[in-house]
Amino acid sequence: MALKNHLKALRTTSGYTQEELGSRVGVSRQTIISIERYRYKPSLELAMKLSHELDVAVEEVFYFE
Amino acid sequence: MRLSKTELSIGIEMVYSITFALVFMPLFFHERGTHLAWEDLVGPGIQILVFTIFFFSVAYGALELARQHEITEDERGDLIQAKAYKAGYILYELALFIGVGHLLRTAPEHNGDLLFTTLALLLAVSLTKSTYQLYLHRTL
Repeated sequence: MALKNHLKALRTTSGYTQEELGSRVGVSRQTIISIERYRYKPSLELAMKLSHELDVAVEEVFYFE
Repeated sequence: MRLSKTELSIGIEMVYSITFALVFMPLFFHERGTHLAWEDLVGPGIQILVFTIFFFSVAYGALELARQHEITEDERGDLIQAKAYKAGYILYELALFIGVGHLLRTAPEHNGDLLFTTLALLLAVSLTKSTYQLYLHRTL
């Protein structure tokens, strides 16, 4: 089972750029890029921050496939 | 491709290493066969110190001006740094063994002292690292 996410789709729907979302949750643009490309698995804290910022439940952002 | 502030700062370190190799290593290369006294090292030492301070002040100052508000430290950065330090630790140990081996081969006088000091330092470092690792396992 691999951890995937809908971060890119949710981010663009919310109108954030990678840099804007990164600065709102306290990470770099590269970290957002890595998460969107499934290269980096965020910590629970960062996952919760991202879902909070995108105003969705954490399981709507991250899922197992 | 747009490099991040962190990637640029790593680039600065790489440029420094290459510049150091091109500018200062020839000085030491030509002195390989000689016995260097402390007085011989003061001149190059000051040059290296001044160059290092000047280089990093200018480079990091320019980077800070150009990328003032960019976030540089986050959990992914910490993970990358931990992996890089792990590789660095192994490489330092290897380099130290090679260096000491070379010294023992080429400078036989006082080599017992050299061997003992190196082994004692390596043991102390290894023990400290393991103790800290154990502490982190028990507390994190």
